[in-house]
Amino acid sequence: MCASLILIPFISVLILNLPIKGMKRLAFGLAALLFLLQMVAVLIPDAAFWKINHSFCAGIFNFELGADILSKVVLFCIGMVSLVTLFSALTFVKDSDEKFNFINILLIAVCGMNAVAMAKDIFSLYVFLEVVAVSSFILIAFNRDMPGLEGAFKYIVLSGVATVLMIAGIALLVLIAGSTNFSLIHYMLIAQNKSLIVSLAIGLFIVALFIKSGLMPFHGWLPDVYTSAPAPASVLLAGIITKVAGVYALIRIVVSMLGFSASIQSILLFVGAVSVILGALAALTQSDFKRMLSYSSISQVGYIILGLGSGSVLGIAGAAFHIFNHASFKSLLFINSAAVESRLGSRDIDKMGGLAKQMPLTSLTSVIGSLSCAGIPPLAGFWSKLMIIIALWLVGFKGYAVIAVLGSILTLAYFLTLQRKVFFGKPSDEFKDIKEAGFSLMFPAIALAVLIVAAGLLAPWLLKGFILGFVPIIGG
Amino acid sequence: MFLDILILILLVSAALWTVMCRSLLRSAIGLALTSAILTLMIFKMNAPLAAVFELSVCAGLIPVLFISVISLTQAMTKQEVIEHMKSRLARFWGLPLVIIILGLVLGLLSIKFKAKLPLSEVETDPRLVMWHLRQLDLLGQIIILFTGVFGVVVLFKERKKSG
Amino acid sequence: MIPNPLLLTIIIPLLSGILIFCVPKKLEGARSGLLVLANLAGLILAIILFKQSFTYTLPGIAPGLELSFRLYQFSAFMLLATSLFGVLIALYSVVFMQGKKLVSQFYAYFLFSIALTNGAFLADNLLVLLFFWEGLLVLLFGMIAIGNKDAFKTATKAFIIVGVTDLCMMLGIALTGHLAGTLVISKISLTLSPLANLAFILLMIGAISKAGAMPFHSWIPDAAIDSPLPFMSLIPAALEKLLGIYFLARISLDLFRLTVNSGLSTLLMIVGGATIILAVMMALIQKDYKRLLSYHAISQAGYMILGIGTAVPIGIIGGLFHMINHALYKSCLFLTSGAVEKQAGTTNLEKLGGLARKMPITFICFVVTACAISGVWPFNGFFSKELVYDGALERGWIFYFVAVAGSFFTAASFLKLGHAAFIGKISSENGKVKEAHISMLIPMIAIALICTFFGVFNQWPLNNLIQPILGAERLEGHNFSGFPTNTMLVIITFVVLILAILNHLYGLKKKGSGLHALDHIRYFPVVSNIYDLAEKGFFDPYNWGLGLVNVISRISFGVDKGINWVYDSLSPKLAYGFSSGIRKLHTGNYSVYLAWAIVGMLVIFGLLLR
Repeated sequence: MCASLILIPFISVLILNLPIKGMKRLAFGLAALLFLLQMVAVLIPDAAFWKINHSFCAGIFNFELGADILSKVVLFCIGMVSLVTLFSALTFVKDSDEKFNFINILLIAVCGMNAVAMAKDIFSLYVFLEVVAVSSFILIAFNRDMPGLEGAFKYIVLSGVATVLMIAGIALLVLIAGSTNFSLIHYMLIAQNKSLIVSLAIGLFIVALFIKSGLMPFHGWLPDVYTSAPAPASVLLAGIITKVAGVYALIRIVVSMLGFSASIQSILLFVGAVSVILGALAALTQSDFKRMLSYSSISQVGYIILGLGSGSVLGIAGAAFHIFNHASFKSLLFINSAAVESRLGSRDIDKMGGLAKQMPLTSLTSVIGSLSCAGIPPLAGFWSKLMIIIALWLVGFKGYAVIAVLGSILTLAYFLTLQRKVFFGKPSDEFKDIKEAGFSLMFPAIALAVLIVAAGLLAPWLLKGFILGFVPIIGG
Repeated sequence: MFLDILILILLVSAALWTVMCRSLLRSAIGLALTSAILTLMIFKMNAPLAAVFELSVCAGLIPVLFISVISLTQAMTKQEVIEHMKSRLARFWGLPLVIIILGLVLGLLSIKFKAKLPLSEVETDPRLVMWHLRQLDLLGQIIILFTGVFGVVVLFKERKKSG
Repeated sequence: MIPNPLLLTIIIPLLSGILIFCVPKKLEGARSGLLVLANLAGLILAIILFKQSFTYTLPGIAPGLELSFRLYQFSAFMLLATSLFGVLIALYSVVFMQGKKLVSQFYAYFLFSIALTNGAFLADNLLVLLFFWEGLLVLLFGMIAIGNKDAFKTATKAFIIVGVTDLCMMLGIALTGHLAGTLVISKISLTLSPLANLAFILLMIGAISKAGAMPFHSWIPDAAIDSPLPFMSLIPAALEKLLGIYFLARISLDLFRLTVNSGLSTLLMIVGGATIILAVMMALIQKDYKRLLSYHAISQAGYMILGIGTAVPIGIIGGLFHMINHALYKSCLFLTSGAVEKQAGTTNLEKLGGLARKMPITFICFVVTACAISGVWPFNGFFSKELVYDGALERGWIFYFVAVAGSFFTAASFLKLGHAAFIGKISSENGKVKEAHISMLIPMIAIALICTFFGVFNQWPLNNLIQPILGAERLEGHNFSGFPTNTMLVIITFVVLILAILNHLYGLKKKGSGLHALDHIRYFPVVSNIYDLAEKGFFDPYNWGLGLVNVISRISFGVDKGINWVYDSLSPKLAYGFSSGIRKLHTGNYSVYLAWAIVGMLVIFGLLLR
């Protein structure tokens, strides 16, 4: 039952906050269990879980929710990244009260993201996007240090701009369609001639979501925020929050509500291509570990948007697969950066070197993550990029397909730079006594690395079914 | 019609003042003022419920939050204030001009929205809408409020501890 | 299931070759036995198949590609010749290769070569032919490479020269296939057109390079020194000549109908004539037994090409007859050189001398085959050369003159060779030399006998082997067997031979040594300069090619450097330039970021409202 994915985390937060002794100690276990269950529930598509009708709360609640395969991919990623974030928080949030607070906010964020993933109504989508946004403000500012607060402020401002644009778009859409339901609006938009007001509404909405996804040139907030946020928060932000709040919402809106038209496709493709190339180029010369990763995020989100822009089943399946891949490898890389930061106290990659000896596991997992990101077979990232590129080629956007390939080369370039500077090369004496990061960082890193490799190796067998799952969504 | 335009002009002036004034505190008050004027507008458009919400949340709650946060910051010295004033003016001197020009242009363009609008819906009781049709949104809003409060508590508690 | 006998001719040597690899090194007898037996089996098979004719098509491997083999007069004859040489040279190499390194490799390559040659003869599809042809190229490389320490370089040279010409042939095949619409040899019959001319020339390059004609010859003399000797007598002397001339005959007789007045015919004759005279001039001055022979191998190929190039029946018959004759006496000559090398330890003529008494049988075989190559009556070379002369004269006195001049120099150089190696003083090093082993002698004797037989009873080979190839229709009722009808030519030939002897005596008197009997030609003004250059390899097209390749490689190195610069230097610089530019744009100033967003939004509205 879809609603429980929203209600249970929220109710858990409420219960955890009841003034009962010992509750706080339960928090970690409870949250981990919830995230794990969410992943399991998604992996079993025929589970009774999805089929139970609103029996126990049918009389009280009447939620309009639905989970198709796209939502399920995202739900899985939410569970996965949140679990990873939870573990990494163990290292970075020492104080037990703080930890408890962090877990609470994490649960709320998950609740919001789940709702976004399943929303079938434009206004609900908006409301829960705000839930996600508010909880991320708190997460970014969690350490109350200057960069964190500054980052949070920047996020608030541009997110606020996005919110204004979005609510204006919603208002116009309601004016036109008289409804907030995706499918109803879709029919009304089809019925409408291409009028100014419709274009305005669509434009406002798309721009709002571009800002939330951090696509070029709407990305200004993203590198600063990712870099200044505390390590676990940046894992969550980069891994899933911007993907759900921006990219997934964009895909959902375009696929279920706006439909593909030439102008929308050209906008998506253009913005995607610009993000792919400029993001990768910008990443090339960054010297801050996390900043490089955040530009890489922009570039990878560009790929997802390119896949969406192709407008074909294959492209959108590729985009969804890339969301999963991005969630896995980018959280892995952010975990790696957190591991390095926790041991070195610095993120300046120019001053690192030869860490492969001291931190072999971190080094190995980061190589896997980087290669998957660069799209090297047989890792998972290769398949999604391949799907996107093939989709672009088949639909006829050959130039964009070439750009995608070029972007992949650039990706490899900056990740090789990163690997060389951080893990390989001359070990400096300064870092002689560095040890491998603790269990709470290594466990998620290894788990994610295994997942990436496994997904890559199994992909040839699973992809067909996966792609076919998208046929009903696109309604070809 | 005249009243609408008057309110609009007031709204824009209040917003401009919010952006351009030198003190954060005054900015917060300006924001409240802007929201209050907006409330007037909404009220005039026959949406009393929305107006009430706007007044309570945007003109009431949020500025209160802002002001409470601002009160925790350190005040600037006079010298700093002057410096700040200058830079602010340097940055925003064009803003009123832009707004006036934009307004004139948009007004003269007389853009036609070629939309066929659906028949206006039958007036329904907002309470009914809230509790029966938009339960999910309501839940979402409750969560937002909860989160906001939670966040403020989390972020301020520490402040008190260390302060 | 027994495979088709045609396939057997390929499969038997192939499998035996593989088997030889498996035989342990200690069982040398087993290896040798296997080599000889496999060749014997091939010979028996060839005899059984002789006079039969049928076509066999391998069940289709790819649609549109018929793997067809055709046995008929010509190919059966070639098959027979191949397997005959196979048996004889196998017998010879068993002794010759004793105690040498890499014997099993040599034996295996030997058998593979036989298999591939058979395949090439039988192929009725140009692609199948090409397959076997290219296979031989690889074996050529392998067989030369297992020789002495310089062999690898020579092998590379051979590989490059033959490889390039094979490439031409490949293009020719593609073009022919395009023109004819089929690749089945027996179905192709093209009339000459500009494009067909090109195809012919490309195919011809492949064929004459296989036959070792100029200018694709230069690897042969090097290989003569560096490679194992039986290789020389098997491949360049016998199999490759057979194959090359066979293919040349096929293209000029079947694939394209070469006519007397076509430029191609003249071209072939020029190539043939040039090969005859230039190679024999080089042969004159050689001071090494094998190297001298190898130049003759080139020179004689010229006669065959000249003969076929005349495009008149008598010339063609002469060329084909010369092909088999040459294969016979030249392989025998190489065998004698091998016997000398084995017994005396060297083939350097300066160190040899007076071997006639020590190795009388070898000497007799040498004399017989030397007479044959010089065109002395009644050996086979006389008859085939007379036919070629006749054909050449029919097309122009200059070709006849060249051919006869070639004959003069051939005779002269063999007089010198025989004199230097077998007559004269026994050098001190050769004091204890004995006659060669019996199984080395048998092949020599056998071939010498065949040479005599083909000469004295030339009606038999001509009537049974050669003339049926052309067919009664093309022969126009002529029969070229028996003693040459043109008495004038015969007289001239005799005169030339006598002149050669006189010349030799003159040189002998002047220099007092058989080896230097031709020095007056060597040091004749002008000619000597040319020789000097030739000895430096100045006329070797391979060296020209190497020079050209050097230039090209330098140019491409420059281009490559440029491309490298683009990849290694320019692109990263551009990327980093862009990157730092973008980085500088990110000032952290929020209003700038907002401005970007607003500009982006306006652009998107513009796109939507378009």
